[in-house]
Amino acid sequence: MRKIVCGFVFLIVFYSCKHGEGEYHGVIEKIEAESENYHGTSISSEQYLEDIKTIEISEDGHTFLIPDRKGQIKSYACTECHTQPLAKMQSKDVKKAHWDIKLNHANENTMNCVTCHNPDNMDNLKSLTGNDIDFNNSYNLCNQCHTKQFEDWKGGAHGKRIGGWAPPRASLTCVNCHNPHKPHFETRWPVRYNTQTVKERD
Amino acid sequence: MSNNNKKWFSLNLGRKDKESSGSCGCGKTSGGCGSHASETTEMTDEAFAEAAINASIGEERVKDGFEQVFDVKMDRRSAFKKLTASLLIGAGAVSTSCSMISGDESKEKAQIDWEEQFKGNYKLMTDEEKQATVDRLMRSYELRTGKNISMSSKNAEDDVLFGYAFNISKCQGYMDCVNACVEENNQDRDSQMQYIRIHEMKDGKGFNFNEADDNYYHEVPAEGHFYMGTQCFHCDNPPCVEVCPVQATWREADGLVVVDYDWCVGCRYCMAACPYDGRRFNWSKPEVPEAEVNHNQHYLGNRLRKKGVMEKCTFCVQRSRAGKNPACVEACPTGARIFGNLLDPKSTIRWVLENKKVFRLKEDLGTEPKFWYFMD
Repeated sequence: MRKIVCGFVFLIVFYSCKHGEGEYHGVIEKIEAESENYHGTSISSEQYLEDIKTIEISEDGHTFLIPDRKGQIKSYACTECHTQPLAKMQSKDVKKAHWDIKLNHANENTMNCVTCHNPDNMDNLKSLTGNDIDFNNSYNLCNQCHTKQFEDWKGGAHGKRIGGWAPPRASLTCVNCHNPHKPHFETRWPVRYNTQTVKERD
Repeated sequence: MSNNNKKWFSLNLGRKDKESSGSCGCGKTSGGCGSHASETTEMTDEAFAEAAINASIGEERVKDGFEQVFDVKMDRRSAFKKLTASLLIGAGAVSTSCSMISGDESKEKAQIDWEEQFKGNYKLMTDEEKQATVDRLMRSYELRTGKNISMSSKNAEDDVLFGYAFNISKCQGYMDCVNACVEENNQDRDSQMQYIRIHEMKDGKGFNFNEADDNYYHEVPAEGHFYMGTQCFHCDNPPCVEVCPVQATWREADGLVVVDYDWCVGCRYCMAACPYDGRRFNWSKPEVPEAEVNHNQHYLGNRLRKKGVMEKCTFCVQRSRAGKNPACVEACPTGARIFGNLLDPKSTIRWVLENKKVFRLKEDLGTEPKFWYFMD
């Protein structure tokens, strides 16, 4: 008899602790537990990237795709025009090329054209120490100053993701959003106004 | 009449049964049998829907809360009307099926209406039943409008739990997300229903939703302000699901909180239970211009809704289960919106959660939203 009572009490105590909330105390705990044996999914976003030419980069253990840049620059390769050294191409009677580019990035003490462009090798960018940087990897130029943004970008907190959420990851690179010669954004009108939205709550 | 083991009663309107076509069970095969009003003229779909709604809710459409129950003139006639409301659908189906004039198409339409009316809760359906209802809805749309839609009943994938992060230092209040959301999810254009709200907040005042401006009308970003978006947070412990009296809303295995629009009775308990203002109600029949209807649909997502049901953000289930980003993420020009699989340790959303200082709204409520905010 006592055994039955004890068993009964045990069962009541055992089940009274459960409120039907499931196995975890919070979503963080759930994520940690359930992702331990993560094997990947069958979902892929590869099909959504077919129209975009991308290149794969690998930085600090983060491997992902970024859009190809050289194909997007209208007059690449630069040496197609820049056949002679810069000094020889400058003259008063020749119409000025790149007249529409005005550098508005940091101040004059910090930056001018040759901070990033190499007058001796126009087809590549150059680092602060004079090393060549490919146009496709221009983020390596930006990250010399913008180190925090670079960390965020590598991880995925900065820079818009393209394609889909599923692997493979493809993210926009710095110059896809920021014009390197004028990196800030102007204010603009929002694309819509909420004029007749039903007011559901006060 | 009922073949094999269906969960709900289905009416075979004699479309497949060649022998009985044109008869209505009374033996006669021509000229109507008198017990059915074969002389009644066909109702149009709109008139029929209007009549059904009038009969079922009538005056309640303009009343709210208590008034709906107590402040209704109820004479014998309206009481009978109410009782016969649901029968109307059935009667319509029967009269169509027995009518000599109605063609095969209207019979099929009636058959679909019948089966849709008496189908079960989507949550309890087997995969075949889900496929069947989706097929019916696609066929029904084709019969009514002559246009094809593709509707999916894709289930949640294993090893997927969707999560969202929102960068409040990136959002500039451009509202591209809202436009994309409305177009993607076939939201009512008349009432300007929107799942996403962008709140313009003053710097240094914290998240003060009472003083936030949700209908700003000026160039953005405005000096001294920041912007934050709210929508359904797809809580892991969703209070809206808890209160639903008919279990028309639930959390899917991949974390999406969804609504079965055909099972919802429109009581709006969930709307009251949601601490984040994440749910919307269709006060009128949602109107979407035919040319703007998004034909890529999911049963639980952006299929066309009807009057008097709840709806909400589903993280664009029709897109996210196919590997795409939700429309708001894709439309955001600033990259402030990050979406992904929380169970994938290598996903970008996991990096954000582990490396940025993140917070959620009203965390103390224990609702466990899967929507995090962070700053640069």
